[in-house]
Amino acid sequence: MRHVITSLLMVALGTTALWGEEQPAAPPTDAAAATAATIPYNIPEPLDKVLNEINSIGPYQSPKLSLKYDDRYAHTSDSVVPFGSVEPFIKHFLLQMEYTGAGRSIPEPEHLDTVKIGFVGPIMAIASVATGGMSHTEALGLKMLQGAQLAIEQANAAGGYHARQIPFELIVKNDNGLWGATGTEIVNLAYRDKVWAILGTVDGANTHIAIRVALKVEIPMMNSGDLDPTLMETNIPWIIRCVGDDRQQCYMLVDYIYRKLNLERVGIIRASNRYGRFGVREINDGSRRLGRPVAIEMAYKLGTEDFSLQLERIRASNVQAVIHWGNAADGAMILNQMRAMGMTQSYFACDRCLSDDFLKIAGDNAEGVICGYPWNPDRQDEKLDAFRAAFRERFGEEPETYAAHTYDGVNMLIWAIQTAGLNRAKIRDVIAHRSEPFPGVTGDIPLSAALDDAGDVFLARREGNRWHYYSRDDLGIPKGH
Amino acid sequence: MKAWPGSRCVCGTLSVVLSLLLAAAGAAQDPPESPAAPPTPAAQSAPALPAAAAAAPSDTTADAAAAEGLPYVYTKWRHFNLEDGLPHDYIYAVAPHGSKVWIGTEDGLACYDKETDTMQSWKEKDGLPFQAVAGIAIDPKTGDVWLGLFGGGLARFSGGRFDHFHQLNSGLVNDVVYAVAIENDHVWAATTAGASRYNMVTKKWSIYTEKNAPMEEIWNYGVCYDSGKVFLAIWGSGVLEFDVATEKWLEYLDPDGEMEIDLYRDDGIVHVITTSVSYVEKILWVSSYFGCCRYDGRHWRGLYAHETGLPSDFTNNLKARSANECWFAHDKGLGVVADFPSETVVTYTRDETTLRGKADIYRAGKLLQTVDMEKGVCHNFIVDLNHDGPDTWVATGKGLAWGIGEGYYPGLQSNPQWLEQVKSPPVAEPVASANQ
Repeated sequence: MRHVITSLLMVALGTTALWGEEQPAAPPTDAAAATAATIPYNIPEPLDKVLNEINSIGPYQSPKLSLKYDDRYAHTSDSVVPFGSVEPFIKHFLLQMEYTGAGRSIPEPEHLDTVKIGFVGPIMAIASVATGGMSHTEALGLKMLQGAQLAIEQANAAGGYHARQIPFELIVKNDNGLWGATGTEIVNLAYRDKVWAILGTVDGANTHIAIRVALKVEIPMMNSGDLDPTLMETNIPWIIRCVGDDRQQCYMLVDYIYRKLNLERVGIIRASNRYGRFGVREINDGSRRLGRPVAIEMAYKLGTEDFSLQLERIRASNVQAVIHWGNAADGAMILNQMRAMGMTQSYFACDRCLSDDFLKIAGDNAEGVICGYPWNPDRQDEKLDAFRAAFRERFGEEPETYAAHTYDGVNMLIWAIQTAGLNRAKIRDVIAHRSEPFPGVTGDIPLSAALDDAGDVFLARREGNRWHYYSRDDLGIPKGH
Repeated sequence: MKAWPGSRCVCGTLSVVLSLLLAAAGAAQDPPESPAAPPTPAAQSAPALPAAAAAAPSDTTADAAAAEGLPYVYTKWRHFNLEDGLPHDYIYAVAPHGSKVWIGTEDGLACYDKETDTMQSWKEKDGLPFQAVAGIAIDPKTGDVWLGLFGGGLARFSGGRFDHFHQLNSGLVNDVVYAVAIENDHVWAATTAGASRYNMVTKKWSIYTEKNAPMEEIWNYGVCYDSGKVFLAIWGSGVLEFDVATEKWLEYLDPDGEMEIDLYRDDGIVHVITTSVSYVEKILWVSSYFGCCRYDGRHWRGLYAHETGLPSDFTNNLKARSANECWFAHDKGLGVVADFPSETVVTYTRDETTLRGKADIYRAGKLLQTVDMEKGVCHNFIVDLNHDGPDTWVATGKGLAWGIGEGYYPGLQSNPQWLEQVKSPPVAEPVASANQ
């Protein structure tokens, strides 16, 4: 009843501006605030209340549960907000999206042998338009698959799906097909395999296609490997990401480079694909907004091994630091060629360069390199230690970041299925309305209003033949707000 | 910035609101014994309709608004669900053509014959090439029904036979098809990885992607054709206009270039992620998950829920009826810009408690009148809609609704007939198909 009255009052009193009037320079409200008036927000909902609500409503009702509301999008500091001197007419992604369809009323199937969870990742090499020729992300996808397999196996060892005493099953699909094939894989996982949720994928273009399909077929999609900021900037209530994105890493790098080191001129070299293009977007924007626009940005084609053209131009630009956004092997080759050319600038890179491939090729040149990184693997945590031990025992190797985040992502889905039961909308609900951060092996995973991982990101610096991880506080990096 | 012509400030809505508050409070104290009309057998004849709606609380403001002019409000609705022969109740698409209404669902195709009041359906076992029918377009020349299959490519239903076009046997660029449209001798398919154009006479396919069209992203969502122009709504690439005569492209992007804001309301498309387009009388209407907008060739106008009365900014689809009337499929109801010059909006929702239908009339964002109805839209999650002469068909996440446009008029009318009817609802009209 309170919601009804609030809503009506909002209609009566809140919409005072004439629709056709001159557009105000600084509107007093935005859609988020308008909607927030009808449903409470940022009130922690106990899990039993969430379950009671979603289990008690009919097909024509939406749960009246508190929504997340962020006072600023993606921790963006005031000085790098777009058009910072102008109040925008409307701000997006501050208020959590609702799912208002009828999916919660779909009954659980009577007979099932397994509880299926879909996995979409690059696990087989193939020529791909999306990835610019031969695919190059299998190394990441195979690690993701390992993390997913371990999570499923551990859940089954602990009794599987408790409500029915049946095992979980991972349905695995490759996403390195021609551009767009991922959409068909999601359709088939949803309609044919009838999975309850999906984890995937890495490539930004393929993931965008996948989430559009997930929205239409109404299935939760967990992402643990695509750090493209625009993935979550889509208003899709079915997508959840359990890893800090490139926007967060870029903000950290920008703040470190300009606010902490006080550098003036920076150059960018990046892959000429979606990953490179979107990865450096916030560095470009942040640099410009801090009054130090990127001096030069050079792109290279995937598969290139000679970066002299790009590096010559960057050298001629007299920059103090070089930022690379692309795959590990490319990043290492660029670094080696820089040093061979006598370029001694500081070298910054994306998280993909924090890998064995990078170290193998870069050798001693890796010393001093700084990468953005979505978590701190040196963190002292029993969960992390246990995960590492189990991973070593299962696969005979150390887990890396894609395996660890996927392990967390699949565990979040398993938790949601165990909690909500076999209903896709309710599986989404319990994750979306979870009030506590999910305790992952990669650290606590607090979800923003956009259901993105709003946890801390880090800088990793290669020192004395090992990576050292630093938080913003560790390095005393100012935030700007 | 030019204001809309005909802007009027309608004050004094407080008494309406107070009466609504009292009504809401009363509803909370005395919940209805039966939340919906009791189920009755499905309609046996098409014209039978639910009883007329009851009028909302009225006051001098509403009376003044009525005297000034009110839009047409659909007060007679009929619902279709599984019990009526639909193969699935998640409706993706609806396309009326003559006496037939083609219905695409998550699991099957259906055709409702208004003359005989019969429903026929097809699933994969009946030859439908793929279960999910996301888009439907009917060739006006041949009557062939073109189906966009969500994950299954494109199909033509002609003479009782399905012809299947997909990535491996045709020039269809991708099998995940969101929407289809007929342009002269061509059928267009908006797919998740570009657009395809098929010449039904020469059998030639053309593919449009970032290679040959200004698509920053290639994730096509919607397509429409009118007056020599094809418009594509593209996720991440705004709207593209294709001039059929010159085969030249024109792009419309969000001028601020930012995902997390709309800097100015009326500077262009409200967001680069668009979901649908409709071009009627040389006016372009665009929907997105972030709001909607209208373009008259010179001026853009952003349409946001918080200042118009539209139910939500999350908009799955839209369909314009004229330069001044456009219908929007939101996740929280059906929104209608009923008369653009006077800033008049009608929203249709289903009350979550009583399950009755409701229409709210807004002008310049102010609530003028609420009309309570026995039935309205089936569900508040609206997926698609289409016009059928004066009638309208609304596809929802749970069922299909048929709005009967008896006495429909465009624009505004003073003291319209529908208002008189809801003030004095007929008592003896038979109730039909009241299930759901």
